[in-house]
This record gives sequence, structure tokens and C-alpha cells, in this order.
Amino acid sequence: MKIKEGFVLRQVGGRNIVVATGKASQSFNGMIRINDVGALIWSRLSEGADEDALVQAVVEKYEIDADTAKRDVNKFINNLSEAGFLE
Amino acid sequence: MPMYSIAGLKVFMEPRFDKTQKQSEQYKIDYAEADEADILIDYPDRAIERWGEIAPEFNDESKEYMSFGTAFYKGLINFDGIMLHSSAVVYEGKAYLFSAKSGTGKSTHTQLWLKHFGEDAAYILNDDKPAIRRIDGRYYACGTPFSGKTDLSRNALVPLQAICVVRRGTENKISRLDMDEALYSILNQTIRPAVETAMTRVLDIIDGIVQEVPVYELYCNISEEAVEVAYEGMKN
Repeated sequence: MKIKEGFVLRQVGGRNIVVATGKASQSFNGMIRINDVGALIWSRLSEGADEDALVQAVVEKYEIDADTAKRDVNKFINNLSEAGFLE
Repeated sequence: MPMYSIAGLKVFMEPRFDKTQKQSEQYKIDYAEADEADILIDYPDRAIERWGEIAPEFNDESKEYMSFGTAFYKGLINFDGIMLHSSAVVYEGKAYLFSAKSGTGKSTHTQLWLKHFGEDAAYILNDDKPAIRRIDGRYYACGTPFSGKTDLSRNALVPLQAICVVRRGTENKISRLDMDEALYSILNQTIRPAVETAMTRVLDIIDGIVQEVPVYELYCNISEEAVEVAYEGMKN
């Protein structure tokens, strides 16, 4: 589970913005905004985290239970996958 | 060796064709060593070649002009600046940048500013690609030699008052864009680098701009009233 190469996540104007560079920009031309939980998951994913590590990160940061965290993580991963950000 | 001062930066480049030379003339500064340049542009053979492949209808002179432009704006991002595809008009010592896709009418609108306020009071800073640059904590709009089809540009750095997205409308109406829309508008009208590190830099520069410079949306028709509506909406 990895984010495709070429995507850049950055805080711009107080928002978490994702844009594409290089090869990724051939299929994704715009920008998307993701919320803070999503940005946390995205960052950890870029560092190579697996599902357990992602759930752990969310639990730690938001002080919620593991089941809720797992649901949130899976939902976000699915969205990323459907949108074509994962390889 | 020709050195130019563009957007407050020392640029070394050696154009061979008339168009680039003439457009750059007012930016020339005294003889200087190439190693003093902030931006050193080698003759852009490869870029010219690539233009030849993508758009063979352009002549060598145009290809050189576009290639030097691209190289300049690429170097600019290392100095807290980006290009914004827009027509920049100056009035009362402030620059207003009207941004839109080609053909929407931004040049038509800025020309009306000249008509409305008079050519002694208002002028076009750059009709196609002004540079926006942060200098000593303030944002400036800058004329550059690269001004698109018309040759309108002036070698000046002017405090940036506002950015305004232009849309065609039947009535004249101006409103402030929210942050998401502002980001989207600026990102869409600047050069997006192919390399991640450069893109990150562009995003950081845009981050700075949107925190300091208001971004508006103007629906307008072709009239002097459009100028009044725009000016009144942005002058403060």
C-alpha cells in the first residue's frame, strides 16, 4: 500500500493540499484538499506505514478507540484508492 | 555580456533574436560579470528544440522568447517569486492583477482602466505574465520582458494590492474568494514544476501570498463601470 510517486502534500493557506508533479500530473491535473486526519494518514503512508501503524498513529493523535480509528483509516484508504492515488 | 535587472534580480542571458532583445531592452543594466547573476540562463537550445517538436508553427524568434521566459520564471521560484498568468495594471502606486484563462478578457479590462483613469495615471505593468515576488516581507508585482502577444511591460516593482479572477458576466460584480477558491485560482494560473522540490517551493510561495494578498472574483462586461466596480471593491 503506497502512494504513487509524484504527489506532493503541503500546508497551503492553512489547508492540507495535494498536487501532482512529474508522471502523476499526467493523470491528475488539479489540487485536492484533505482534512487533518487524512493528512496524518497520508504522511505516515509516505513514510511506509502499514495499516496497523496508521491506526496506531490516529489513535495516538486523536485519543479515540482502535475500532473507530481502524474504520476511519480504512475509509480514507479506500477513498485514496478509488481516486487513483495508490499503487 | 548583457545583464538584466528583472523583478529586482540580476539575470544573465544572451538573446540572439530581435523580439527578446527589444522586449528586454528597458531591463538592461551596465556590464557585469556573469557570476554575479542571481539567475544565469544558458542559451535554451533544448527548450527551443522541444518547442519545435510541440509547436512547429512558431518561428525561432518566438521560441527563443518563450524559452527565456520559462527559464526566468523557473529561476524566480528560488527567490520567493512566481509567475501569475494575468494582466497587471498599476494605479495610485498599487498593482492589481487580473487573472484568467487566455481569451477571457483580462487585457480588455485592464485597457479600460487606462481609458477610465487616463494614461497619465494608470499603466500596464505586464500584460500577460507579471512576476509576484516577496521582498523584505512585502509582496510586489513586477514587470518582466515576457509580456505575451502585446509588448506591454514596464520595468517596475509595485506593491501588490490584490489579485482578481476575471469572469465574463452581464452585470459587474466583485466579491472576495474564500481560501479554497483563492488557492485554486492562483495554482491554476502559475507554472507548476515537474519536480517535487520545486513544486513544494511554489506551494510555499503561494501559501505566503494568500495570507497577505486578497483574492477576488470579478464578473464583468466590457464597460468603464466594470473598472469602477473593480477599483471600488479592491482599493482598500
